[in-house]
Amino acid sequence: MNFQEILEKIKTKHEVLESKEDLGVLNAYIATAKIAAVAAFMKDELKFEQLNFITAVDFPANNAIEVVYHFFSYETADSVVLRIKLDRAKAEVPTISGVFKTADWHEREASEMFGIKFSGHPDLNRLLLPDGIESPLRKDYKNPDMTPLPKA
Amino acid sequence: MGLMNGIDEKLVRKIPGAPVVLASAEWAINAGRSNSIWTLTFGLRCCAMEMMATGAAKYDWARFGFEVPAASPRRADLMIVAGTITTKMAPLVKRLYEQMAEPKYVIAMGACAISGGPFIYDSYSVVRGADKVIPVDIYIPGCPPRPEALLDGMIKLQEKIMKQKLTKAAS
Ligand code: SF4
Repeated sequence: MNFQEILEKIKTKHEVLESKEDLGVLNAYIATAKIAAVAAFMKDELKFEQLNFITAVDFPANNAIEVVYHFFSYETADSVVLRIKLDRAKAEVPTISGVFKTADWHEREASEMFGIKFSGHPDLNRLLLPDGIESPLRKDYKNPDMTPLPKA
Repeated sequence: MGLMNGIDEKLVRKIPGAPVVLASAEWAINAGRSNSIWTLTFGLRCCAMEMMATGAAKYDWARFGFEVPAASPRRADLMIVAGTITTKMAPLVKRLYEQMAEPKYVIAMGACAISGGPFIYDSYSVVRGADKVIPVDIYIPGCPPRPEALLDGMIKLQEKIMKQKLTKAAS
């Protein structure tokens, strides 16, 4: 399937806010509240059975954090990326760990790294970071040990 | 090894007519210590690979009196901090150091253990050098240092031990 066909298939059931092609892979923006339903749709009907990873990207200039879900299909060897835009101050998104078990730890990691709350998550503790380091991958994170590289 | 390296003339007095060699207790104790150093089996990151290579057959630190790696800190004399210390690992490194019995020595191996190395600028999770956590005797630069460099550092440590005094300097 090319990315246009996948986009059409998603659009038959769910609303896509925005979409773009990136390196031949479909990037579809969907509404925050819909993520669990869309993930289940991807898994059960489009046969994207593998959730490769969940991560996030911080865009302080737009006051947005994007949560990124990367799906892969063993049947057609296609990849799809779903994206969700969140407000930086109030980053909260429903968990999809009920759909994909693997999302559990990925969400914990994204949560400790970006300070995103995955509501409904069974156990949103820290995964790897020790106490005292809060959301280090946000662009405005400050740490007394960090001496920024001198500008060339 | 210590005897094969030769005993300093100053330390030896030969008693005429008898095959007796006298040396100072300080020399004997230091020679014993520096030639039976057990290293703690303990590696933190990529530098640990070179440390293992140094202990294995090709470089073989046992040739210089480092013998066996000790699998417990209570039997170890030397901690080679081979790699990056993260903030999460730092308390455990300190605990291992505290569990070692005196006399104990620490080698900081590689850029990470010296200063944070490649992580010195923007890392949120790396301790900037082993000496922020525990006292360090020898620093070995490199990323990673070659086994020859580690061996050189370990031999420098032996030289340092040979200079130890039995008595404390009056303060
Ligand atoms: S100094 Fe280099 S080789 Fe050694 S642990 Fe650090 S990054 Fe790895």
